Amino acid sequence: MKTRFLFPHSYRRIGWLLFVPFLVFGLAVLNHDFQVDFLEISFGKNPAPGTFESIFSVNTINLSDEIATLGMILSLLFIAFSKEKIEDERVAQIRLDSLHFAVYLNYAVLAIQVIFVHGTAFLDVMVYNMFSVLLLFIIRYRVVFNLENKA
Amino acid sequence: MKNTLKIQRAIKNSTQADLAEAIGVSRQTINSMELAKYIPSTALAIKIARYFGKTVEEIFELEPGD
Repeated sequence: MKTRFLFPHSYRRIGWLLFVPFLVFGLAVLNHDFQVDFLEISFGKNPAPGTFESIFSVNTINLSDEIATLGMILSLLFIAFSKEKIEDERVAQIRLDSLHFAVYLNYAVLAIQVIFVHGTAFLDVMVYNMFSVLLLFIIRYRVVFNLENKA
Repeated sequence: MKNTLKIQRAIKNSTQADLAEAIGVSRQTINSMELAKYIPSTALAIKIARYFGKTVEEIFELEPGD
């Protein structure tokens, strides 16, 4: 059976090895404003705070959050879309069902959050939402796959 | 859809793993088919029929409501 767009089986392990540190890093960046100093890059001096220009132009940025986000995306993709040891059409079916399930559930949760979460707190919702589709997919897929493999 | 996979296997005296390996799927897929939880594609059904030397319709049968 021809499977497209999947990583080799070994990438699942690589994915988990990357995911754990990037999750810790990402949560530290998000919740505790953790920044790694050497990731700071500068394009020139920042305009003096309080001036009109300072609202629109930032010349010094710290890449901690970018690295954390990209690391999370990459590791979750590896975990979610690596091949099984034996790929067959039933696995493809479970994968498709789980993707369908994850998209529905993700948007249902998002809709509830749109109604109940307002202001700057919604920014956090959007940050978590960047990863929730993949997380929900991975959970649903692994649960169904392992349940059926016990049979 | 009903199927006689288990019976055919018994006649041929082969295990789920034997059949799985011969047609290139996992053993769990054979198990799911025997429990009628998974309906195979046409290609897989033909491979199974060939393995047993039968026609597809001798192994797979539509049920009322299918």
